[in-house]
Amino acid sequence: MLKVDDINVYYGNIHALKGISLDVNEDEIVALIGANGAGKSTTLKTISGLMHSKTGSITLMNEDISHAEAHKLVSKGLAHVPEGRRIFLQMTVQENLEMGAYTQPGYVKDGIADVFNRFPRLKHRKNQIAGTLSGGEQQMLAMGRALMSKPKLLMLDEPSMGLAPILVQQIFDIIKELHEAGTTILLVEQNAEMALQIADRAYVLESGRITLSGTGKELAASEAIKKAYLGG
Amino acid sequence: MTLISNLINGISLGSVYAIIALGYTMVYGIAKMLNFAQGDVIMVGAYISYICTTSLGVPALISILISMAVCTILGIMIEGLAYRPLRKASSLAVLITAIGVSYFLQNAALIIWGSTPRAFTSVVPFKSISLFDGQLTITPESLVTIAACVVIMVFLTLFTKKGKMGKAMRAVSEDKDAALLMGINTNRTISMTFAIGSALAAIAGVLLCSAYPVLIPTTGSMPGIKAFTAAVFGGIGSIPGAMIGGILLGIIEIFGRAYISTQLSDAIVFSVLIIVLLVKPTGLLGKKITEKV
Repeated sequence: MLKVDDINVYYGNIHALKGISLDVNEDEIVALIGANGAGKSTTLKTISGLMHSKTGSITLMNEDISHAEAHKLVSKGLAHVPEGRRIFLQMTVQENLEMGAYTQPGYVKDGIADVFNRFPRLKHRKNQIAGTLSGGEQQMLAMGRALMSKPKLLMLDEPSMGLAPILVQQIFDIIKELHEAGTTILLVEQNAEMALQIADRAYVLESGRITLSGTGKELAASEAIKKAYLGG
Repeated sequence: MTLISNLINGISLGSVYAIIALGYTMVYGIAKMLNFAQGDVIMVGAYISYICTTSLGVPALISILISMAVCTILGIMIEGLAYRPLRKASSLAVLITAIGVSYFLQNAALIIWGSTPRAFTSVVPFKSISLFDGQLTITPESLVTIAACVVIMVFLTLFTKKGKMGKAMRAVSEDKDAALLMGINTNRTISMTFAIGSALAAIAGVLLCSAYPVLIPTTGSMPGIKAFTAAVFGGIGSIPGAMIGGILLGIIEIFGRAYISTQLSDAIVFSVLIIVLLVKPTGLLGKKITEKV
């Protein structure tokens, strides 16, 4: 479904991604783990077109999207929930969801019903300004908003960041549900333990390079990973 | 009676400022830049309407529509040619460019239309209204200006609150990258904002010159700066703020001229800006935004 081939990305003179290659097959959950600043978010931003790679190519469903503009990729079935959620804080919950369906005007009603079904807490806060939601609710809204575009591939950047453990569990349950409903998922996480539990396959990113890859189970059992990311 | 008459004149002049300020505030809200050329688009709008009515014999109402269309295209061109290449540049570079565009428009007008003042004929076909045995005269221009301002504000409020494009504008205004990830073409949204701001400037230009009928290439610069003051006064980025700021500024200017000093009226207007910036830097209706981490 998604194939990233040897991309090199720069922030000015800083070489942020050094020849990253990865692929995501249909119906998989693929996790990208690594420390702060390893290049996880940059990888997602480059896939979704917010940044562009100098060399290398990105293919989404057999179409080269290396140079595509971000806003054109949404209707191709790619949704990206960015780091820090980035919901529209001054708009209502309902309006945020409407923006999510910007490319799917016919889906607004059904989409919102579906999101409220999945996240009942949002329904009660429908007309509330998004900035007044709690962190967990904001994450749910960010995910709900992404679902409004009917994505085939959903990219989540640190969905567990800043959330209480019980909420983290809830968010991961939702990710599993979405996956079971047929959405392919590319997940970026610092919480390696949780990510490896649900991932079919995972890649480990270190200072702009992929240093390890394998199935979720293999990596969870690997000594190097245990030391570096799972606290011994 | 003079008090009421001054008040009406103040509200009317303020309505012109408010219409221009709405353009400033929308562009600022979405593109996060001050389009100082806004005032000069007013002048272009007035010239287009003037030429349509005097040289081409077009009816006044149609001349306004033509002028709005020309200014809309001009606004989109200014944004595309001057500001879009600077999207990632520092805000100082953009500000200097805006001042450059302003001078460019003034000098282009000077070359095309010359420096001879033109006597603008009012586009409002009605007669003045006389009340209380002629003690109070209300010009039709003031009434039309006030009405236009109210209609525009209601339209813009509904547009940004309910319309799909308007909501997309608010989304872009809050977070450009997040808006892109929703599939919103942010460049097109920003052009749309300039188009709306420039169409408003055309209306303001025609109304302003109908009330104060001298048209020269620098006609727009002072009202443009005052409208900017009005937008800051009301809280830049806020639509009702621009309206309230504009009207209050118009009243302050006319009252200052009538009761304090004709020469000092502009100084009084700008003192208001300084005081507002000192006391409430976000303006009357401006919000201070604190983000959750």
